[in-house]
Amino acid sequence: MQGPMETIGIKNISFSYDNKTEFFKGLSFTLKKGELVALIGPNGSGKSTFLKLSSGILSPREGEIRVSGSLISKYSPKRRAALVSYLPQIIDLNVPFTVRELASMGLYHGKNSGLSIEEALSITGLSDKALRKVFELSGGERQRAFLAMMLVQGAETLLLDEPLTNLDIKYQLELVNLVKKIVAMKNSSAIVAIHDINLVRRFEKVCVMKDGKIKKIGPPREVLTDDLIKEVFEVSSLDLYGQG
Amino acid sequence: MNRKKIILLVGASVAIILACLFLGGGAISPFTTDPLSKEILFTLRLPRLLTALIVGASLGASGAILQGILRNPLSDPYILGISSGAALSAAMGLVLGITAAGYFSLPLLAFVGAISSCVIVGVLGKKSETFTPERLLLAGIGLGFLFTAILMLLMSLSSDYGVRRTLLWIFGDLSYSGWALMPYGFILSAIGLGVAILRSNALNALALGDEFAHSLGFSPSKERFVFFVAASLMTAVSVTMGGIIGFVGLLIPHAVRFFTGSGARLLLPLSALAGATFLALADAVGKTVISPTEIPSGIITSIIGAPYFIYLIRRHGR
Repeated sequence: MQGPMETIGIKNISFSYDNKTEFFKGLSFTLKKGELVALIGPNGSGKSTFLKLSSGILSPREGEIRVSGSLISKYSPKRRAALVSYLPQIIDLNVPFTVRELASMGLYHGKNSGLSIEEALSITGLSDKALRKVFELSGGERQRAFLAMMLVQGAETLLLDEPLTNLDIKYQLELVNLVKKIVAMKNSSAIVAIHDINLVRRFEKVCVMKDGKIKKIGPPREVLTDDLIKEVFEVSSLDLYGQG
Repeated sequence: MNRKKIILLVGASVAIILACLFLGGGAISPFTTDPLSKEILFTLRLPRLLTALIVGASLGASGAILQGILRNPLSDPYILGISSGAALSAAMGLVLGITAAGYFSLPLLAFVGAISSCVIVGVLGKKSETFTPERLLLAGIGLGFLFTAILMLLMSLSSDYGVRRTLLWIFGDLSYSGWALMPYGFILSAIGLGVAILRSNALNALALGDEFAHSLGFSPSKERFVFFVAASLMTAVSVTMGGIIGFVGLLIPHAVRFFTGSGARLLLPLSALAGATFLALADAVGKTVISPTEIPSGIITSIIGAPYFIYLIRRHGR
């Protein structure tokens, strides 16, 4: 059973995309309230699949996924949206919504559990861009607009799939700090899939994945050993950080 | 700011619609007591204007829906093969001599063809209980080509005047409008539009992708199916009542977005209003410019629509 402090509890799940080869087998994971976890691993390691399973977009073949105490499959879509919010890696912006229109979508589940639109725009620094089209914004501002929407949505668990991709280092740091601030402010929890191993050290906990398996979880300093980096990413620390 | 724009849009639409009724094809005073003028107004102009409004509203709103659920800004109500299905069904009915329903035979055949096409596209577009935009689009485009090919074959083999006449009607002509189809068309379109407006939040969410919609608390596949049915119903009504009228469903939602933003709660009703007004205006222009010869409304909408569309793309870069 799930403890009171757990927001996501994944137990022994198996998952397959084609019903033939198992992508995940016997995978377990726990996210506690207030935790901010960086999910890291090479391309194809299963980070996105893991987040999609955690948010209920995909369903496991076996095992159970619990969110805030109950099986995720038992929630209605609206109730689920009030508990867990997922930001996909690729979002279609063909329709030119404004920042304000996007932020207001956080209210669609009807529970009114999050911040007001004004508060969310203020925290994400977008108050003066509320009427701008989202696709006109810079990459960093665009991701902040999506975070504003998540703040309005008010879910206690945030799952972000590679939100730092294609951002300059300045915006990457800015976004990580903003996510940390949100988690601390709302006592929520978040899993952020990222690619840049250097940024992992800014998180309190890291979960390393490879080939559909969780290799190690823990504080970055303990987890990211030379041996693990070599095993998972097939590069040495020397390749990563250079000499000295 | 937004409210002013909306009031302006609604006010301009009402003025244009009234002008079309009383000025299009020769001026008639709204206070006329002349029996002939009254006759023209109530038996010719009003049903034709109302038909243009229903057809235009259906096209504008269904275009906005399809651009959202198919996540393709170039989608229009005809992209799913519904119009080709209606044309083929009407032409086949005429070749086979199905006239059992009298005046209603042709519209009924067109409607059955349109709805059958929706069902086939829906079945082909479904994969393991989900409706994806890509599958729906491919199924619709493929089916549209097939129906058009069969229609062409039918035309080349048939010397029947009726088939040619059906084709003229199906390619956008409001001059056969009467009161008989009006209540059915109005009710069906209103149902489609009403359902879509009630679910407008889901349409916004779907426009940003299925995973995003899921995260916001919707079942993407279920919502897409509901919108597909609503848009199909409106398209079927528009093809049955007015034939195939180009550019309204494609252009109007884009033009309305520049007034109101992209939120579907305003976009859907205002696309319906703007589509209705645009088609009423196009029909009035078609009746007037080289009177007494009439230019079919579909030609006018394309002549006005194409340059305006290019202007919008150049001005706004998207």
